[in-house]
Amino acid sequence: MSAYLISIITEGAIFGIMALGLNVIWGWSGDFDLAYYSYVAVGAYMTLVLTIGPATAPAQYILGLQLPYPLAVFIAVITSMAVALVIGSIALRHLRGIYFSIVTLGAVYVVYVLAGQYVPLFDGYNGLSGLFDPMGDWFGLDYLSYQYFLMGLSLAMFALVFLLMWRISGSRFGMALRTLREDERAAAAFGRDIYRLKLKGYVLGAALAGFAGALFAAYLSAFNPSAWSPVGEVIALYAAVLVGGRGNIWGVVVGVLVMGVGVQESTRWLPHVPGLGELDNVNPQILLSMRGLIVGLVLVLFLRFRPQGLLPERRYVDSQPAALIVQTPA
Amino acid sequence: MNEALLTLGFAMVTASILALSAVAFTLEYAVTNVANVSHGEILTAGAYAAFLVHQRTGSAIAAAIAASLAGGLVALAMHSAVIGPFIRFGASPTIVFIATLGMSFVIQNVLVLFFGAANVAYSIDPGASRQVGPFRLTPLDGEIIGSAVAITFVLYLIISRTRFGKALRAVSQNRELARVTGINATRVAGATFFLAGLIAGYAGFVLAESVGSFNPYFGFGFFLITLTAAVAGGLGRAVGTMTGAVIVGIILEVVPALKLPFVGYISASYNLAIAFAILALVILVRPRGLFTNARRTVFE
Amino acid sequence: MSETEPNLALEVRGLTKLFGGVRAVDDCTFVVQSGQVTGLIGPNGAGKSTAIDLISGFKLPDSGTVIFKGGPIDGLPPHRISRMGLIRTFQSPREWPGLSVLENVIMARWDSGRETFRRGVWGLARSQRATSAGELARAREILTEFGLFPLRNERAGNLSGGQKRLVEFARIRMAEPQLVILDEPMGGVNPVLGERMAVAIEGFIAAGTTVIVVEHNLPFVERVTDHVVVMAQGTVIAAGSFHSLRSNQLVIDAYLGEMVPQ
Repeated sequence: MSAYLISIITEGAIFGIMALGLNVIWGWSGDFDLAYYSYVAVGAYMTLVLTIGPATAPAQYILGLQLPYPLAVFIAVITSMAVALVIGSIALRHLRGIYFSIVTLGAVYVVYVLAGQYVPLFDGYNGLSGLFDPMGDWFGLDYLSYQYFLMGLSLAMFALVFLLMWRISGSRFGMALRTLREDERAAAAFGRDIYRLKLKGYVLGAALAGFAGALFAAYLSAFNPSAWSPVGEVIALYAAVLVGGRGNIWGVVVGVLVMGVGVQESTRWLPHVPGLGELDNVNPQILLSMRGLIVGLVLVLFLRFRPQGLLPERRYVDSQPAALIVQTPA
Repeated sequence: MNEALLTLGFAMVTASILALSAVAFTLEYAVTNVANVSHGEILTAGAYAAFLVHQRTGSAIAAAIAASLAGGLVALAMHSAVIGPFIRFGASPTIVFIATLGMSFVIQNVLVLFFGAANVAYSIDPGASRQVGPFRLTPLDGEIIGSAVAITFVLYLIISRTRFGKALRAVSQNRELARVTGINATRVAGATFFLAGLIAGYAGFVLAESVGSFNPYFGFGFFLITLTAAVAGGLGRAVGTMTGAVIVGIILEVVPALKLPFVGYISASYNLAIAFAILALVILVRPRGLFTNARRTVFE
Repeated sequence: MSETEPNLALEVRGLTKLFGGVRAVDDCTFVVQSGQVTGLIGPNGAGKSTAIDLISGFKLPDSGTVIFKGGPIDGLPPHRISRMGLIRTFQSPREWPGLSVLENVIMARWDSGRETFRRGVWGLARSQRATSAGELARAREILTEFGLFPLRNERAGNLSGGQKRLVEFARIRMAEPQLVILDEPMGGVNPVLGERMAVAIEGFIAAGTTVIVVEHNLPFVERVTDHVVVMAQGTVIAAGSFHSLRSNQLVIDAYLGEMVPQ
């Protein structure tokens, strides 16, 4: 298996976990949250400061512990959930619609600026690095075998998260979230505590984001402000969830394949097109921009013409026919 | 005292540019009930158009006109191709919001494809600074503030004195009612977007030369600050928006100049975060007049 | 009136709500007897809907109190009031459009035990989690009663206005509240459905649910109610049987310009 294929699968699995988390917040609860990727970033940053050991001058960052990777992941996820609790408890209390989205956009910018400018936190623009092959030494893996290991781990974690989402999806909790999306007032009139329920969904989604971030940190070995942007990443995630099928976890998988892997692959041959290849030499951004362009356009087109996505959300189907009703004479 | 006035002088320039951008955004919102996230890209388009024309012709005035026209066309296209159809289709404001976010991303990438992502230096000799009343301003500063005032005044005349302005006000107050009285709401909205684009394009030109450089993303960054001013002042209300712009402009200039306890000086790179802190505060604390959900129960 | 009489389902005392300078609800006072259908009528702008919002927790009163089940409920959030057994409908049908009709009915009952996240993960077997067998049977029964059984797997948002109202009624049946407030159930509905709705309301009473109906359709009010409260300009101007109010001068004056049945 080529190294390229291994990395595609690993990235796909991590991206898939992110998309499943976003599906909880937007697909089920119906909140267009723009702060989502900050939870991924927090997960990545925290994983690093908990595993790469103390800072050596002139680098600065908080903590700087050398914990075993699984423990670091656990703490990182909790941290993401804590940040989400703060942002969510403010944004979800009174705000809906675009006002909610705008405030969350503000939140992700604050996180981005803090992480990138406030050096004592995560070494500002330099970011953090040095997480090499976590857990690799437990099994005595060399570089190549480790790539396989990480791929397998990511896939396994994705499967686990998918299973969790599958159970939530068919549960009353999952259905309660959906009633919030469909009609909040009616949900409240029928006993649902809107704020609390939304917050639970929000923190759950953020937990998945943090978890994906932790895996992402292992995959990249590093994380810094150029590894993410406040808006670009989240648009790709929304595109994946929307295109695949908002609210349908199988749809999310399809969306990740189409928008994540599909777009990556279909644009790979672009530099080989005569003319464009030279452009890419002059302007290395070309491939990235083409992909961004396609993702954005697909998002808008699907919003207009197929908002339910490729695999629409499925309703519970009761296939039992009506029972025979025996009429007793009055 | 001197420093305070100096800062205030800078603030006036920032506030002027912000006011132009914010009032254009407010026009877009008023006439469609949509927060146009691609608004920033109108400014970026204006900046690029101005730069190209200025390079060819060497004339700042030609550049300004080009910026304005480019902005108007981009805004009109955005309405005709995206926002209008979505509204006709019956999409909720949130859906259209998402669509404009997507388009913002698309436009940024198109610009990167054509011009590259690197910063483009763009500066016009500002002239020597002079004492104007209590402030020290350059002739360029004076032009910026002056043109902002002039444009605002012309806009005021258009909205209050012309038939178009009347139609605009009708559509922004009650689309359905306006339709019933024979106004083509879509056409009015399109024309309003063109007008807003003219203003925003010009603002982009002024912002670029004021900062000294620009790139495909600079409009979006400024849009976030614009949003703060517009929301603070009251979405859909022109006068409130201008006030909001002045306040935000002042805060953004003043805060980096202050030495705060514990934190010391906050560098200007935190501008965006500060703007959003203001925004969040406004939305959470003083939402009255902005939207109905708030304060007591979520449903009031 | 120092103690709440045991057969009062609801007591509203001095409820007041101001919007700006306008007194939408002004010292509104009335009682609702258990086991009866009480109508709440009045001309447009009388404050009926606002009063309902205040009672059900969707708006906060500026003063006054609402007594339900022996204690004050004013100031409580809507979901709490609902959990106590007071459910209301809205002027336009508020079904959950993306869910099926069956799902709408099943989710009408708030199940504190089974709606937690933990139960969602570890809970019961799959067939039992979203809906227990007994619950499913009950939902099917109710849907059959309302003639909605063939539509049970349909997307609720695709139904006609009248059908959506029936779904609302089915939901109320499922939830079995102590008190239900119907906010203009006949609004936008074919008058032919009126009899069906009247039967449904009788069904509520038979099941032990007290009913309040806010309505403009006066023939319907006459058909279903035992007692009527009349509001005008934010306050209660009269109360009694429909028949007795027909000749009440205050009521007639309040409806000046509106059709009063002869």
